[in-house]
Amino acid sequence: MPNRPFLFPIAIIILGLSFLLNLSLGSVMIPAGEIISGIFSGTWSRSSWEQIILNYRLPKALVAICAGIGLSLSGLQMQTFFRNPLAGPFVLGISSGAGLGVAILMLAGSAFGFALIGVNSWAIAFAGVFGAGLVLSGVSLVAWKVKDSMTLLIVGLMFGSAVSAVISVLSYFSGAEALKLFTVWSMGSLGALGWSQVGILGLLIFIGCIPVFGSIKSYNALLLGETYAKSMGIRTEKMRWLMIGSTGILAGGITAFCGPIAFIGIAVPHLARIVWKSSDHRILFPASALIGAILLLLCDAAGQLPGFASTLPINAVTSLVGAPIVIGLILKRNFSRDF
Amino acid sequence: MTSYQQHISLEVNKLTLGYFHHKAKKEILNDLDFQLFAGELTCLLGPNGVGKSTLIKAILGQIKPWKGEILIDNLPIESLGIEQLAKQISVVLTDPVFPGNMTVGQLVALGRTPHTDWSGKLSKIDREIVEKALSDTKINYLRDERLSEISDGQRQKAMIARALAQDGKLMILDEPTAHLDLVNRFEIMELLRDIASQKGKAVLVVTHDLDIAIETADRFWLLNCGTPLIAGKPEDLIISGKINQLLPGEKYRFNIERGKMEFEMRDLKFDILGPSELVFWVKKALIKAGITEINDQIFLEKEPFSLSMGEMKFTSINDLIFHLMPQIDSIK
Repeated sequence: MPNRPFLFPIAIIILGLSFLLNLSLGSVMIPAGEIISGIFSGTWSRSSWEQIILNYRLPKALVAICAGIGLSLSGLQMQTFFRNPLAGPFVLGISSGAGLGVAILMLAGSAFGFALIGVNSWAIAFAGVFGAGLVLSGVSLVAWKVKDSMTLLIVGLMFGSAVSAVISVLSYFSGAEALKLFTVWSMGSLGALGWSQVGILGLLIFIGCIPVFGSIKSYNALLLGETYAKSMGIRTEKMRWLMIGSTGILAGGITAFCGPIAFIGIAVPHLARIVWKSSDHRILFPASALIGAILLLLCDAAGQLPGFASTLPINAVTSLVGAPIVIGLILKRNFSRDF
Repeated sequence: MTSYQQHISLEVNKLTLGYFHHKAKKEILNDLDFQLFAGELTCLLGPNGVGKSTLIKAILGQIKPWKGEILIDNLPIESLGIEQLAKQISVVLTDPVFPGNMTVGQLVALGRTPHTDWSGKLSKIDREIVEKALSDTKINYLRDERLSEISDGQRQKAMIARALAQDGKLMILDEPTAHLDLVNRFEIMELLRDIASQKGKAVLVVTHDLDIAIETADRFWLLNCGTPLIAGKPEDLIISGKINQLLPGEKYRFNIERGKMEFEMRDLKFDILGPSELVFWVKKALIKAGITEINDQIFLEKEPFSLSMGEMKFTSINDLIFHLMPQIDSIK
């Protein structure tokens, strides 16, 4: 079996278990059986559990699933398009762009002596979308002129660095309170969203996934390189715009709502390739989506320190989990062979 | 000979190609005319940097010609979209990028890309064509092997099978035998020849392998800087001496008897007697050792092999050259 399709049911079961584990862990441990009966029958043995699950943990778990799917898919697109195993959702400067938008909202206000009024999660999301869109437009303008995908990759990274520098300057001049607020945002958070925001994020992920699944064939052809893909009738220029658009919506939306979440986008596509032993995108896209959702649910659960009310920032947990994975990959496997 | 009409798969008229470098026009190929015939294996020979890859890109529609037209089955390639063109021409390039996780079967199936729907799902006919391509290239046994685990020669055959599965009228291969061992080179070229003659495809191979090209090609295209493209049967080009166009300057020459390129050595002052095939190799060794002049006559004997010069007798060319070395110094 070259593609190991039998792994999909297993992965879906693991996803369900991770979902339950994620819901049941927290400052208050809620038994999984209670959660299932509560959600399906609507009767809870304690009303506080109902409150915790429905208003806090369920939206958070759904955000984890959405973000896991979105980041993994945009990472996989980037890695195949640029044929670079270290590419990720943020190589085109999207996270830095979102960071810039949020930094302007939070830091520039205090730097110029305004009060921190109006900094709520909606404003942060809008600022993030605005910043990510701004940087992505800049990269797109260059992409218009640049023919080579490797040059585009470098341009994206340069944009990211330049924008990060602007954020540093803003941080330098801003007050302690605003700086703390921004630092907390930049560590990422899955739990700050209400149901309406979860709905919007879900919609964004859905829209962002449409071009992905529409160009499966093109991504498979692109595995042989751009010239081969063109010789097989693939319009790589069109693909580039689809990819920029899709990643902008997926990674941009997630970063705007949850802050930058590192490593998922880079590590998950590699995990999918290794677990499924495939390079076929008909396998890799759903596989990456599943692994991404599972990994982010588990990372979030791991961040819930048992017995404590507080949680570790999600970005720290994903990096702590992701970094050993990427290092292990580099040590154990020849990247280009598995790519 | 009008009764024997060959089908022209590709026709190029007055083609001029080039690129812009700092807004300056840089012309690479000028005013080319040629035809590619169905059922024939054509080899394109020429030095590095003469514009062979540029020519291939133009035929693939990836760069626009400055002047002239490229016709596929009498249709200009601009009138065919990239998807239509993909159904007509398949390529094997020199790019060595390979996804190691992909199996040979999956690679060959990718060749069906221009023919499948948006998801790339293979129909029954597609699967049959893939199977046929695998069996035509004799690599069925490799179907489930991963690309990282097979040899370079096998991988090249898999790439040819992929191009075959794309099922166009034209196949273009850029140096398909580079990095391969001698047996694989012959096998690949024989395979391409069979594809041309049995499937009626027009196969164009860019190669630097003159020996094997002479053995297998139906037609040669010789491309050189600043001269028009020379086309013809390899044997015609050899007899007319046009094959020497490949070699600028006077240093090398095509040896019509031996069928290969050799150092052109004038001013040789040897007097070697013996069976002609032995004389040939002795001369070769002497030239390589930098010896162009021997005063004494040399006699060769075949069985057992010996060389005699005056009273001296040697059992190997090595001993002779060793003996001659001080003599050369004295001449200088």
